[in-house]
Amino acid sequence: MKKLFSKFDFPKLPKNDKLKIVFLILALTFLIALPFFGFSNYWMNNLVKVGVYIVLALALNILVGYTGLVSLGQAGFVAIGAYTMTVLVKDYQVNFFVSVLIGGLIAAIFGVLLGLPSLRVRGTYLTLITLGFGEIIRTIIIVWEPVTSGPMGIRNIPTPSLFGLELSLSNGGLYYLVLALLILVVLFSHFLFRSKTGRAFRAIKVDEPASIMMGINTTYYKTLAFVLAAVISGLAGSIYAIQLGYIDQNTFTFDMSTLILSIVILGGMGTIRGMFIGAIILVLLPEVSRALMAYRFVLYGVILVIMMRFRPQGILGWKPKKPYHVTKNARMLFEQGHGELVKLNISNQE
Amino acid sequence: MIVQQIFNGLTLGMSYALIAVGYSMVFGILRLVNFSHGAIYAFGANIVLLLVSLELGILPAILLGILFTGILGIVIDKLALEPLRKQNAASITSLITTIGISNIITNLLIAFLGSQKKSFPTLFPDGSITILNFQITYTQLGMFVVSLLLLVALMLIVNKTTLGLAMRASETNIKAAKLMGVNVNFVISFTFFLGGVSAAIAGALISSYYSMAYPNMGYMSGLKAFSAAVLGGIGSLPGAIIGGLTVGISESLAATFFGSEFRDSVAFVILIIVLLIRPRGFFGKKEIKKL
Amino acid sequence: MKKYQKFALSLIAILLVIAMAGCQAKTTENESDSAPSNEEETTQETFRIAVAAPITGDNSEYGIGFNNAVKQMADEWNANGGINGMMIEVVTYDDKNSPEEAVAVANKIVNDGITAVIGHFSSGVSMAAAPIYVENQVVEISPSASHPDYSSIGEYIFRNNTVISHEAKAALDIAVNDLGKKNIGIVSIKTDWGVSTAEIVTGLIEDMADQGVVLTAHEEVIEGSDDYRPAITKLDEAGTEVVISVGMYNLLAPLAIQYKEINPDIELVGFSNSYSQELLSLGGEAVEGVAFPVIFFSESDQENIKTFVDSYNELYGSKPSALTAQAYDSAGIIFTAVEQVGADDPAALRDAVAELTYAGVTGTTKFDENRDVQKDFTKVIVKDGEFVLMNEN
Repeated sequence: MKKLFSKFDFPKLPKNDKLKIVFLILALTFLIALPFFGFSNYWMNNLVKVGVYIVLALALNILVGYTGLVSLGQAGFVAIGAYTMTVLVKDYQVNFFVSVLIGGLIAAIFGVLLGLPSLRVRGTYLTLITLGFGEIIRTIIIVWEPVTSGPMGIRNIPTPSLFGLELSLSNGGLYYLVLALLILVVLFSHFLFRSKTGRAFRAIKVDEPASIMMGINTTYYKTLAFVLAAVISGLAGSIYAIQLGYIDQNTFTFDMSTLILSIVILGGMGTIRGMFIGAIILVLLPEVSRALMAYRFVLYGVILVIMMRFRPQGILGWKPKKPYHVTKNARMLFEQGHGELVKLNISNQE
Repeated sequence: MIVQQIFNGLTLGMSYALIAVGYSMVFGILRLVNFSHGAIYAFGANIVLLLVSLELGILPAILLGILFTGILGIVIDKLALEPLRKQNAASITSLITTIGISNIITNLLIAFLGSQKKSFPTLFPDGSITILNFQITYTQLGMFVVSLLLLVALMLIVNKTTLGLAMRASETNIKAAKLMGVNVNFVISFTFFLGGVSAAIAGALISSYYSMAYPNMGYMSGLKAFSAAVLGGIGSLPGAIIGGLTVGISESLAATFFGSEFRDSVAFVILIIVLLIRPRGFFGKKEIKKL
Repeated sequence: MKKYQKFALSLIAILLVIAMAGCQAKTTENESDSAPSNEEETTQETFRIAVAAPITGDNSEYGIGFNNAVKQMADEWNANGGINGMMIEVVTYDDKNSPEEAVAVANKIVNDGITAVIGHFSSGVSMAAAPIYVENQVVEISPSASHPDYSSIGEYIFRNNTVISHEAKAALDIAVNDLGKKNIGIVSIKTDWGVSTAEIVTGLIEDMADQGVVLTAHEEVIEGSDDYRPAITKLDEAGTEVVISVGMYNLLAPLAIQYKEINPDIELVGFSNSYSQELLSLGGEAVEGVAFPVIFFSESDQENIKTFVDSYNELYGSKPSALTAQAYDSAGIIFTAVEQVGADDPAALRDAVAELTYAGVTGTTKFDENRDVQKDFTKVIVKDGEFVLMNEN
């Protein structure tokens, strides 16, 4: 009986926990000390960009990696967060951090709106709705001029300050802001994964009809996934807006949504570390190798296709832990993430 | 003015219908929404343009372009989608793959041909005929006629030929079809070939209607055509036509009453409403999900 | 491989990449994608000017045009011994027409120690990058930014492009006085430039109400659309005689084609950004009779313009457009300023740019107190498939 239920528990933390924690502490120290290494503004800007995209990837990861819902409209949530924060801070002099939270709240509302169709709609249809959502948000930005200034965009987005200290790029303040958000989101994702909600998400991804039969309220969880992804994207959007200093309808395009999806797929959907490696590669590589300039977007597409074909779990994706010896057939099915749920062959022979 | 606007919408809708037919056909056989269909449509138009610039003459260029695009469809299937089918991959995998393919095709076109709009030759003579106070240009007439011919041809193939029978068998139950000796892989490749062909025809016609073609032309039109296909009932060819016309007219009326800046959203709003209220659209089959 | 090993490796990989990036940060990179005007020493003996524009992706045709123009100007100066003996090197940065990329590019330019930039192309992108140039005392001249607030971002930001209000007046002048029409319709793209310009045109039309000039209809369209028929029907029903097309050639051409299908007598007036060979190739017969104001006319008989156009055509295989010509002059302005005050003091460079008067292919350029330019307009009309000067009747 215990063995049956243990299938729902993804790989337990290995014995080498201590090693893992040491590495984490090292990495954290390194990241916190980073601004003191004397990097130029150019590289600090790149790091902030990577940080923002890791957060965005973690948000999409909840949808794609955990719950199996492909969303191509994340740029819409980023826009909502960015515009809300900007308008509140610039026009109504609301405190920055409060504005960011309100931005997240409004993004959440739209997350609910986007999650509702999931009641009736699955798979590709849902994805295309998310795409449409992204485009509708863009149209709203263009036409709702009293609030968003439409095509004129909003400029002079002020840098926030904490206890009187301005958080700009040059003094490393913006970097720490991103880092703080990143750490929060990483922790959140980590605990979400292991929680009951996380298990519900994963069950839905692996086999939705079975989850329904097991009594999981899939509509609720799918909507929840959208809301979580929306809020996190909205929070990241605020930082993104500060980094750019100017936003208009062309800042939040379908290309951004595709990039985030590519990061999730490349790095390894469903894992947290995958988001790091994916973002670092896809955001920093063009900076390091400008030779690929013209073919950059082609590369994103190629990555998607090749990853899906040869390594759907991404670069750092997890391989499910096999508590028993499994047949070759079952192993093959494992590799595609169908997991331990239904396909295990308990025989001990090859 | 309203009637003229409806008429504008009809022609606009015809262009969506042409693209939607390809979506419906592939979905009908494979239960796969080919996200890259818009990019294939753009490829078709741009290939024809390229061939024309090589001084091949307009008709040979179109025929050759249609052939190449059909082959592109087959290549996509063989290289990217068939291996996934063999692996029994989850549908999320195929979806992401088609997204990637769409990206690749569009951006390769941009990289090689440049992103700006280029002039596309006209296929029909200038001038118009007047019916009941309305001017219909020969181009618009041509579009209607060719679309109907395409629809009829596709329906004939699917319903009256042996190959079409094989296609319908695969659609109903792929395993059973295999057991009955149907070469399913060939059928699927042929379906993609037809999808590519219809996309190229759409590309040539629509580009000549607007007198221009460019690599990114598939994005918006592809999405709107998808809405049209869903509205009409994805999997149903006549539905694609009706859906396309409806989306076109709605777009035109929205422009009339709200302003042209709202045009693009109309298709998405329609999509969302349809999927929420009646997912199978006008003529789609009611899908019973076996739980 | 055991799980923790994989994990450790991934962490090390991440740290390595960051460390590598850091090392690259210390050494100033010199990435010239263009063949530099002079390959030898990248020491103090060269003056480096940056071109920041879309070289790939959307609008790359304009970015490539800018790059070509600046290189051409640089080569011409270098052939004459450079700036006081200093050779010029053009460093190209691709901003991919994205604001996010532009911010990265701006930071890189600052990092690379360059003090003058020609760029960016579109307004939104320029707006995002400009604050960084201002903060770091880099002179930026944009040949194409059209956002009204652009040049007021800071003292180092200059705009070598027409001022909307003047151009709008010139366009309306063509419609009313040269073409003699009173029922005016506007089709405008929904961008910052489109919205601002349309607003100004509308205001000007209202001012002319006593002359019987009337705004029949105003339709706003999304940039990049293909189909304008519903908008055209609206304008036509309202009795429009002349359409002012507030958009680039990719609006004007299809608009002309589609409008003339239902009303062959309609007149169309555009703006200087319609002025390019693409208008003719895209529009074909339909753009016959289309007119617009320009500050640069490639068929001009003027000596310097002829030389510029011919060399550009020889080097790059096409005739330069107005925006390209503006980039060309912008480069000339920078080089002239450096010749005056040298390249060592950014503030002095900025002052020199702000104060000099430059005679170029787009007329005489002098930046006003807002760092915008006032130019005289010439009227151009399409006749027999060619651009010709409009004759005042």
